[in-house]
Amino acid sequence: MTSPRRASRQAAFPGLAFDELRATSRPFSRALLTTHHPLGASTGYMAAAREDWAGLVEAACRVSTFAVELSALAEDELPGLLAFLAGRPRLPFHYLSVHAPTKHRRLPEDKLVARLAELPPHVDAVVAHPDLIADPAAWVPLGRRLVLENMDPRKATGQRVEDLEGLYDVLPEAGFCLDIAHAAAVDDSMALAHELLDAFGARLRQVHLSSLRAGRSSHVPLYRKDELRFAGVLRRCPDVPWILEAPPPPR
Amino acid sequence: MSALEAFGDFEQITAARARTAIGLHHFASRLEGIDAGCVALMGSWGRREVTHGSDTDWLLIGPGDVAGVEARLGSASGTREVFDAQVDVPTLSRIGAAEDDTRNQTRRLLLLMESVAVVGPDGHREALRALLAAYLGRERRDRRPPRFLLNDLVRYWRTMAVEFEGKGDRKWALRHAKLRTSRTVLFAGGLLPLLECHHVVAEEVERLLLARYLEPPVDRLARAFASYDAMDAGARTFAAYDQFLGLLDDPERRGRLEDLSREEAATDPVFADARRLGREVQQGLLALLFEREPLRRLVRQYLIF
Repeated sequence: MTSPRRASRQAAFPGLAFDELRATSRPFSRALLTTHHPLGASTGYMAAAREDWAGLVEAACRVSTFAVELSALAEDELPGLLAFLAGRPRLPFHYLSVHAPTKHRRLPEDKLVARLAELPPHVDAVVAHPDLIADPAAWVPLGRRLVLENMDPRKATGQRVEDLEGLYDVLPEAGFCLDIAHAAAVDDSMALAHELLDAFGARLRQVHLSSLRAGRSSHVPLYRKDELRFAGVLRRCPDVPWILEAPPPPR
Repeated sequence: MSALEAFGDFEQITAARARTAIGLHHFASRLEGIDAGCVALMGSWGRREVTHGSDTDWLLIGPGDVAGVEARLGSASGTREVFDAQVDVPTLSRIGAAEDDTRNQTRRLLLLMESVAVVGPDGHREALRALLAAYLGRERRDRRPPRFLLNDLVRYWRTMAVEFEGKGDRKWALRHAKLRTSRTVLFAGGLLPLLECHHVVAEEVERLLLARYLEPPVDRLARAFASYDAMDAGARTFAAYDQFLGLLDDPERRGRLEDLSREEAATDPVFADARRLGREVQQGLLALLFEREPLRRLVRQYLIF
């Protein structure tokens, strides 16, 4: 052991070279994906098991038991999900989000929100598409659990900061879900993704992570080129769950 | 300027700090004329986060009129075993000895990492310096977090977590919420300055730690989030913590947490909010510790064995 007296007589060695990596650590995007925690799966890509909620959870657990997004993308899937969760299944997840319906919508907006508000308290987030919010005030009952997702270019609105700002004025407690593939489809320079984080980063609750099939809005496993392209944005989101909207990349 | 300001405006933290400053001034006035060289407040006072319902846990450090201090500051039921008492630094410094029981350890660690002087700031600073010297006496090395203090801090954190279960169902939901937030902030706020010692040589360790531990724990965290290029995660962590302080300062919601049984908490929306905020605070701190260099390497090197 070095005594204080000895230490004071001799010159100290410099710090490790790794210390210089403070601002540029994790230069390889692949490391970002494979080591991020918590990572989770969206059941939205598991079309074959749709409405078999126990089966979907089992499939999601094969990706991660830490985080999950249970997707009731069609409105007629919501009653089954509510019943499944009301049965208090033994879910292992630390973070549980539900994707609100975006297809086959029939219920009036306030009735749909009332049904979503029935989700049990351990559901952490209810992800909604802003282009389907006609009356923002109707969504107030969801409080802090409501999470707004930025949209892809095929939607009427909800892509840019100015599209979302007005919603947050009415819904100040709502969170933000950065769909990185959507942002990249609107602006492949990734400047929009950074703008969204600059504006709504303090509200960020989760990231949707995937690539988009060229010219379409369907989510596919993350392309290698997108891992590199998204790395700078993902580096700003090290603390929130990343939800895979397509199967994990095979590599 | 507080290190926290770079992360945004945090209404609840700012209000809590203002309440703390006013309260400290008030208590100092009450102690006028009492023989008390140094009196420190612990807990939320030490974190400068006084909210509705905060306890007033004090320690008289060194000689003085303990009965007089108690007459002026009061004594909270249930904490007298540990706080609201007279202590001396030599006793607190018997670290790891047979007589270093949980009470002595709690007093020492909270004095070092979560206290503020009501009267006698010089004596308070000297007490912290002496405690640090007791930890560092035989262990001063270049670019190495001091193991003795690190191990005692980890021991204290685990003690808190174990005692949480040992205390049974009384105020279970409130204690659970605090364990995930304010107690987590206390532990991480004690830990990060120790890991920062990796960047300095032996002669600088005591000065660095003393400067850090005189700051509120949240400011120590803010300094670390900024230093290790984690501003976004830091902003979310402090936003969640700010909301938690707002919850604690709301008598209705705090009262609900105090009254909930363990079974009721599982389906209670206020408890669910508190749990979510706690998760977000811990997520931010874990990202800082495990996804930023060189902290990731330091955690691996020092935190397990």
